[in-house]
Amino acid sequence: MAARKRKRGGVSESIKSNKKAKITENAGGGAAENEYVIPTPVSQGKWKNKERVLVFSSRGINFRTRHLMHDLRTLMPHSKADTKMDRKDKLFVINEVCEIKNCNKCIYFEAKKKQDLYMWLANCPQGPSAKFLVQNIHTLAELKMTGNCLRGSRPLLSFDSTFDEQPHYALLKELFIQIFSTPQYHPKSQPFVDHVFTFTVVDNRIWFRNYQIIEEDASLVEIGPRFVLNLIKIFQGSFGGPTLYENAHYQSPNMHRRMLRLSTASKFREKQQMKELQKQKTEKTVVLVDSTEDVFQTPAEKPLQTETIPPKPKRNIRRKDKAFKRQRKMRQRL
Amino acid sequence: MADYEEEQQSDTESEPDFSEVTDKELQDAFSKGVLKPGLNVILEGKKAAVNSVESLKLCLAELKSDLAWVERLDVTMGLTPVLAPALEGQRQTQTPMANKSKVDAEDDFQREISFYRQAQAAVLQALPQLHRFQIPTKRPEDYFAEMAKTDQHMQKIRQKLQIKQVAMEKSEKAKQLRALKKYGKKVQTEVLQKRQKEKSSMMSAVKKYQKGLSDRLDFLEEDNSTHLGKKQGAAGPHVKRGPSAKRRYKDQKFGFGGKKKGSKRNTKESYNDVSGFRASVAHNKSSGRPTKKGASKIRHTKKRPGKTARQKLKSRAR
Repeated sequence: MAARKRKRGGVSESIKSNKKAKITENAGGGAAENEYVIPTPVSQGKWKNKERVLVFSSRGINFRTRHLMHDLRTLMPHSKADTKMDRKDKLFVINEVCEIKNCNKCIYFEAKKKQDLYMWLANCPQGPSAKFLVQNIHTLAELKMTGNCLRGSRPLLSFDSTFDEQPHYALLKELFIQIFSTPQYHPKSQPFVDHVFTFTVVDNRIWFRNYQIIEEDASLVEIGPRFVLNLIKIFQGSFGGPTLYENAHYQSPNMHRRMLRLSTASKFREKQQMKELQKQKTEKTVVLVDSTEDVFQTPAEKPLQTETIPPKPKRNIRRKDKAFKRQRKMRQRL
Repeated sequence: MADYEEEQQSDTESEPDFSEVTDKELQDAFSKGVLKPGLNVILEGKKAAVNSVESLKLCLAELKSDLAWVERLDVTMGLTPVLAPALEGQRQTQTPMANKSKVDAEDDFQREISFYRQAQAAVLQALPQLHRFQIPTKRPEDYFAEMAKTDQHMQKIRQKLQIKQVAMEKSEKAKQLRALKKYGKKVQTEVLQKRQKEKSSMMSAVKKYQKGLSDRLDFLEEDNSTHLGKKQGAAGPHVKRGPSAKRRYKDQKFGFGGKKKGSKRNTKESYNDVSGFRASVAHNKSSGRPTKKGASKIRHTKKRPGKTARQKLKSRAR
């Protein structure tokens, strides 16, 4: 906390330094004063670009979306928050909210069915706006991303070359730049550039990544969050108006789920049918009894039997009183 | 019917307000025999996706703000294979797939590498420009500020990494041990086989000698010499070794050697040592708190009988 306060600002610097000095004197020690030397502000300039982005959501978002929204707020010092929108409200109400909040850009997360997440990016009073389906969300809190950056430092924005090739992507690029780039000398921002946002078009989707710049030779480590934006439509107005572009490759998640269900159902049905067919086949193979079968009846053959029990031992027929041959001979000799 | 549907569809494509098919047209179609009685459904083709390029461009022109690059900090570029030395090894394998259009979205590793490289290229391009505008990209060592991830979180990440590394090392070690075991077994079988062979050859030689087929006895000397040498080599370290671990443990437990007579007799020290005395157990009485109900009862019943009773018991047993 103290560190943060020290950092901020050339304006309130003098007051705070006085306070610190007092404390240290009370603690007793002129040497300790050196600890609280406040560095001169790293950069000074005028904050000209008064871009503000409203980042908020509808009701009924899940935890992951909430985390993602929070992450975006931490990474964008020029963002503002608002309470969740009621789902029943019409979308153009957001324009008024933006006006009240003094914002001219807006990121609006719309949750549907508690599982699908849509993201609106809009230039607020006059448009255009774009609606995306958000997929594959990974938030900052996940442990696999090892990078870190200053809170509120300005990002570099890196775009794929496809963003220049097609007009709708060019429009999106401009929108992304205006929303995600932090204005220079923004009071909440840090004067360093230590991370990169990358926007790449792969598989007709826009993939977002955030990397930390570690060294000057461009070795990077991912910070997060990650998400994939699947473009649905671009509208001329903000949150409405005539459609400028519609993504032909887009399939709504409802449709996708329906297809999956249908495919499993068809598989099941096929299996059932096969079973029935098999049953019919086995029923057909029943041999009819021949009525003339017992006309010429032959005597039954002796059944072949295998003995399982061992035969009883022969009865000993030797007389007990009769001696063995050897004994008899011995007796004779005697 | 199908024909008509197709026709109708083609009609609808030419004029968008297909719902206003007049009655007269329908009657005409029916009289011609194209339209048949029954339910006619309009076939809907796939809607063409909207893509109005002009208005998109117009919109972009309106949206564009004339801010300096310093405010925007954007870099647009294709993939140029710029890799850190750490990834140099992978480049050789990746070069054929370096083409951006070939990036497979399903292959996680390749995809992430392509993103990484794009970011790297952007950084390499942007850094000189940033330096030109005197924007620092590295914070000084003594500049402390709040980070996007808290220290606690970073600690957690570090711990996880460590655990992973330890697990990896363990598994590697186990693998090595397994391989070593396998090798050891192989060697052992080889040695056994060799010994068997030697024995059999020796026996055959002895038999030959006994039958008088040969009058040489040098095989004995040869064998003796080799065996002796081997035995000496093998037995040398064995002699120096003490008893086995089991024996040593037993010796330590039960004692080994020394005078046994009188070792069980009481001494002054043993007499004074009352560490083994437990009030709860002594004198066959369970005082205070009994450990278990059943146990205490049993103790009561197993009281030592009196002297006469004992003698009677003894005589009865005889």
